[in-house]
Amino acid sequence: MARVSLTNITKRWGDFIGVDNQSLEINDKEFLVLLGPSGCGKTTTMRMIAGLEEPTAGEIRIGDRVVNDDLPKDRDVAMVFQNYGLYPHMTIFDNIAYPLKVRGTPKAEVAPRVEKAAAQVELTEFLHRKPKALSGGQRQRVALARAIVRTPKVFLMDEPLSNLDAKLRVTMRAELKHLSRQLQITTVYVTHDQIEAMTLADRVAVMKNGVIQQLGTPDEIYNDPANLFVAGFIGSPAMNLINGSVKDGMFVTTGGTSLVKVGISDRDAVVLGVRAEDVEIHQPGEGDIDLKVYAYENTGESVMLTVQFGQQRVIARGDRHLRMDMDDTVGLRLNPDHLYLFDPASENRIGNG
Amino acid sequence: MTGRQRKQFWNAIQIILILIAAGIMIIPIIWIFLAAFKSHVDVYQLKLFFSPTLENFSTVFQSPYDLGHKLFNSTVVAGVTVLFAIPIATLAAYSFSRFRLRGETTLLVMILATQFVPAVVIVLPFFVMFRDIGLLDTRTGLILVNLAIVMPFAIWMIKGFIDGIPIDTEEAAMVDGSTRLQVIWNIVLPMAAPGLFTAGIFCFIIAWNEFLFALILTNKNAVTLPIGLALFKAEEGDLWNLLSAAGIIIMLPMFILALTIRRYFVQGMTMGAVR
Amino acid sequence: MQDKRLKYLLVVPAVLVVFATAIWPLIDSLRLSFTVGRLTRPNFPQAYIGLENYNWAFFDEPAFWNSVTVTSIYTIVTVALTTLIALGLAMLLAPGGRLRSGVQTLLILPFAMSPALIGVSFRFMFNPEFGLFDAFFGLLFPPLADISWLSDPVLAFVVCVIADVWGWIPFLTLVLIGGLASIPRDTIEAAQVDGAGGWRVFKDVTLPQLMPVLAVVLILKAIFSLKTFDQVYMLTNGGPGTATQTLSHYIYFNGFKYGQIGYSASVAWLMVIPMLVLTYFYAKFVFRKD
Ligand SMILES: Nc1ncnc2c1ncn2[C@@H]1O[C@H](COP(=O)(O)OP(=O)(O)OP(=O)(O)O)[C@@H](O)[C@H]1O
Ligand SMILES: [Mg+2]
Repeated sequence: MARVSLTNITKRWGDFIGVDNQSLEINDKEFLVLLGPSGCGKTTTMRMIAGLEEPTAGEIRIGDRVVNDDLPKDRDVAMVFQNYGLYPHMTIFDNIAYPLKVRGTPKAEVAPRVEKAAAQVELTEFLHRKPKALSGGQRQRVALARAIVRTPKVFLMDEPLSNLDAKLRVTMRAELKHLSRQLQITTVYVTHDQIEAMTLADRVAVMKNGVIQQLGTPDEIYNDPANLFVAGFIGSPAMNLINGSVKDGMFVTTGGTSLVKVGISDRDAVVLGVRAEDVEIHQPGEGDIDLKVYAYENTGESVMLTVQFGQQRVIARGDRHLRMDMDDTVGLRLNPDHLYLFDPASENRIGNG
Repeated sequence: MTGRQRKQFWNAIQIILILIAAGIMIIPIIWIFLAAFKSHVDVYQLKLFFSPTLENFSTVFQSPYDLGHKLFNSTVVAGVTVLFAIPIATLAAYSFSRFRLRGETTLLVMILATQFVPAVVIVLPFFVMFRDIGLLDTRTGLILVNLAIVMPFAIWMIKGFIDGIPIDTEEAAMVDGSTRLQVIWNIVLPMAAPGLFTAGIFCFIIAWNEFLFALILTNKNAVTLPIGLALFKAEEGDLWNLLSAAGIIIMLPMFILALTIRRYFVQGMTMGAVR
Repeated sequence: MQDKRLKYLLVVPAVLVVFATAIWPLIDSLRLSFTVGRLTRPNFPQAYIGLENYNWAFFDEPAFWNSVTVTSIYTIVTVALTTLIALGLAMLLAPGGRLRSGVQTLLILPFAMSPALIGVSFRFMFNPEFGLFDAFFGLLFPPLADISWLSDPVLAFVVCVIADVWGWIPFLTLVLIGGLASIPRDTIEAAQVDGAGGWRVFKDVTLPQLMPVLAVVLILKAIFSLKTFDQVYMLTNGGPGTATQTLSHYIYFNGFKYGQIGYSASVAWLMVIPMLVLTYFYAKFVFRKD
């Protein structure tokens, strides 16, 4: 049971800045997800909490204790490594049992706990194999089991589900969610997968180039993006971002098409953001603007229309029964309640629709 | 102590140990270097400061030591050995690396085993044969026997390097219409060049430093540098200043060669045993 | 040309060379070991005498057994010392950084030194009057001051061992550093997070993963220790008496100083046998399937 706080943490290698003067408070029992593109410093942040990497500057606390000077073994954290870090010379059983053994858990307790952890990740039948004889996904689950076999102060999980197939990922996600509610242990979780982030997180921290862009609940991150980066990064498909300007209260695209009424005063350069599901598809003439279909994709649960005007493309999500073809004409209307406006220079959000 | 202090403490201990180890490794070599520049008088004392002289180096090249002749022999023997060994080994290594041959493992183990056979065993029949056909005390003879120690080593080492080259490029070239020999010449050789170079240097060093064969099979004309060291045992004891100068002549070129292949050192030396 | 034929053609020259320069002499040595084979007599190699030479070695030659003992002790001591020290040094140097990789580079130098020269150098270093190591040991442990190292059977052996260990540590260290580098960092970090201290990480995670490399290194060193010749020849020439006479040296002496080629071929073959056993284990590791 512990809160984790990072205060003005910087990690630098020579001139390269991995994490740039960041502060982050992770509450007790909170499930915090670190989300961001490859190389943005997620793993680095996690390794600093684990004590595998020494911060260049700043202070790390776990509970009430400043742990900067503590070795990893004394921090009482459990970690799932991005590349698993399994012990190749030990059986799966011994791999999972190692953190218990090394901390002097009574012998009689080890086996039942290992078996329980293995069952939670559906690995019971593989306990006597060596890691080499497992698939990537199975290895990843061993790494997960090795972490959850103990009750540490903090769980650190670096993309623990990234190598599982789609189905197993859903099951394991539910398992993890259940586990974290049940165990009530502070968790820092890194992922690329937005659904994972949205479903598991109490709060999400979106990172870019070593800087946290926004910290908030999944709802806030999705519906209230702080800047262009978060808006563009969260959501699939990515939010439509249209360049233009505001004239007489109307958003006008760079191509000169007057698109929609917005609630900010006139300015020269503006980026308008709208999510695909907020672009309504109508019959020609019934929307704000008529456009030709550039591509039609049916994903099963919905359909995606890509349309093009000027240099820009916009994606709209439509009902799964909608049938269209290339070059058909549609009328599009942007839902005025869900528009986001950004300043292209500062990339910050400057208003809603 | 906190975790970090303990870590710093251990790090300091480590640095001290590393410096001691480095000292033990390097001091004898430095000592020889110094001795080579000491005069006949200074070398018989534990002197760190002395007035350096180049006299030793000119002495060793003069009669009766004639180190120039030995230097020539060593260069020719090691050089020709390498010139034969590397191309032959490369062809075989390529085949071992890329094809399945019947009895491949047996052959490879046999080649490996020959490398570990004591040189004294090999030299006995060669001595008898060379005596009969007049190859004793010739560079040709020495080159022949040197091939015995260098070949297996070169085959294994080059095979290791070729194993490390992805086969895709070769297959692409074959699809594009190259013959196998063109592939070897145009694709494999350029890509394996650093490996071949490394193997060549290794073999040169081994042949250069080779002692037992030269000791037994030569006595005057084809004497190599390591054997030449024995010349400096005089009646009144060893001539350390001259020995040291000769030592430098033996080891300095090898130091330079070894440093050029620093990057491939471990990979090469273990012949694929360490992955 | 068809790959099917080409692949054999490519290996032919190499196999021929290996046969001519290594396999043939090996077999011919065996043949010689059954002959009288005295250089001093005419009509070399003279008559076949069956196992006479082997009998001679086993039952009539204390010097043979002496060199067996010397070689055995020498091998055990040098293998153990070299491996242990090299392992320690590799652990020290593996983390990298400027100092450590600098020292790694230095280690290449002793490797490139000819063993004969190492022998000479150590005779110089241990000279009782002006040897550097002699002075150093004398300072450390006064009873050893100005001792005539190479005239004392035990000390001469010790000096041989020191020279051997000195010459081999660099190579073994570099190979072990390579082995350490191939251990995934993740596994070591995982153990640290799991709660293992330095020693336990080494014992539970590093060492088991280094084992294959360590085994290869051990066998390789054992093979080369068994055939030691150059250094001993230059350092002590087997002396004082036969205190440091290794098998290779014994064979050399009998064959080329006393001209008993047949006899020394038989001893040589006795030496080949343990070598083949070690090679077998070495090959097993090299060809291991993972
Ligand atoms: N030891 C190191 N030395 C130098 N740069 C490093 C080191 N470790 C990481 N980096 C750099 O720091 C940056 C952040 O790395 P990090 O591993 O934290 O990324 P990440 O967000 O986890 O990415 P991914 O999603 O691909 O795992 C990267 O650009 C990486 O190249
Ligand atoms: Mg990462």
